[in-house]
Amino acid sequence: MSPKRKISLSEDELVLALRNREKIAVEALYDMYSASLFGVISRIITDEAVAEDVLQETFVKIWHSFSGYSSEKGRLFTWMVNIARNLAIDKVRSKDFKNQSKNHELENNVTFIDEQRNTVYKPELLGIRELVSTLKPEQKSILDLVYFKGYTHVEAAEELGVPLGTIKTRLRMAILQLRKHFN
Amino acid sequence: MKDVKAYIESGILELYVLGDISAEEKAHVEEMAANYAEVRAEITEIERSMEFYAEEHAVEPSEQLRTKVLNSLLVNLGDDNTFTKSRTHQDDDNVVALPVARVNSFYKYAFAACLTLLLVSIYGLVNLYTKLQDSNSQLTALQTDKQRFANQVNLMDSQLNMYRDTAYKVLKLKGMPKTPTAAMILAWNSVSKKVMVDMQTLKLPQHDQKHQYQLWALVGGKPVDMGVFDAPKADSTAGVKEMKAIASADAFAVTLEPMGGSVNPTIDQMVVIGKF
Repeated sequence: MSPKRKISLSEDELVLALRNREKIAVEALYDMYSASLFGVISRIITDEAVAEDVLQETFVKIWHSFSGYSSEKGRLFTWMVNIARNLAIDKVRSKDFKNQSKNHELENNVTFIDEQRNTVYKPELLGIRELVSTLKPEQKSILDLVYFKGYTHVEAAEELGVPLGTIKTRLRMAILQLRKHFN
Repeated sequence: MKDVKAYIESGILELYVLGDISAEEKAHVEEMAANYAEVRAEITEIERSMEFYAEEHAVEPSEQLRTKVLNSLLVNLGDDNTFTKSRTHQDDDNVVALPVARVNSFYKYAFAACLTLLLVSIYGLVNLYTKLQDSNSQLTALQTDKQRFANQVNLMDSQLNMYRDTAYKVLKLKGMPKTPTAAMILAWNSVSKKVMVDMQTLKLPQHDQKHQYQLWALVGGKPVDMGVFDAPKADSTAGVKEMKAIASADAFAVTLEPMGGSVNPTIDQMVVIGKF
């Protein structure tokens, strides 16, 4: 998809190769999806080292539970991003992570901020400003809470102090907006 | 088909894609997707959008991680189960071990310090206790000494009184021809009738276990029993010995008699005699 990526396969090819446990599948999987998955993970986990550990765990889990994926139920990325998000949330909620983040908070925030700055200036991401303007702030905040922070829509409703029905509507509107934008 | 449209517009499909849905609802959405191509297409559209959205927010992980992940996936390509286990454990170790170890070592050191302190305290206590015991036994020894000296002083005092008191008459008993070296000093109090033998200056021959010396008073030529005594041993510290009381006497004599004394004196066994 992006010219920067080393190996890229169509989704069908990739799924087939993964099912056959081919070496190229592993590389393609990583090259095609590591940045997107890491984007989600590192919005939940600010500590870069821990986020990378979770990314690794995510790939391990994808690789080992791949038989559980069925293309009839949805796209590969949707399945993977759920694995990544769940692992990241589990990590954040684990006792170890809470202890660790007490020790490393300052240092990690600095690296995380640096990293985010770099990301913003990547040429392929220039469109993001445009995208942000296509989403209304209340649409973006609900979308990010659910998609990037792993909130349920019920938790998001409490967090934002709006009724559940409104949350659902806004979520749908936000995604419709995205669809328009990407098409 | 109006139902399907309403279903699509309910927002459930978005929640389905976001993974924010119960297992029941999920099964229902999948059933709908299988039955209605529109639902299927709508889901795919939502998935694509979210995929693009994620791509817009992509963050490149570090370059080394690619090698690390690929190696970890490929090295044990044929041995999935073993790999999963060992890998997860190592990750856990990486994340967890350091802070836990730090806490542990603090308690370890604290424990060691406490233990050391305890040992030092016990050692000190034992030392102190031993010293206390020493002091106590010394104190006891000193008290015993003091008591002994006090007794001795009392004794000497009473002995001295014997000589000071004018009521006492001191009589020196001298040896017989058979026992020329024998000698004995005796004091008789004419008021209290007491008779005391000075054991310290006593010089009588040693006798066997079956015999004892017996003191006699001669009253009007008749011997009166005044009690028995043993010749003092070489290391004896005895001062004076009080004998039986008598109102008056002309002379005193000592004979060697069988153990316990006799009714009448054995004259040929007389060792000393003295007259007023």
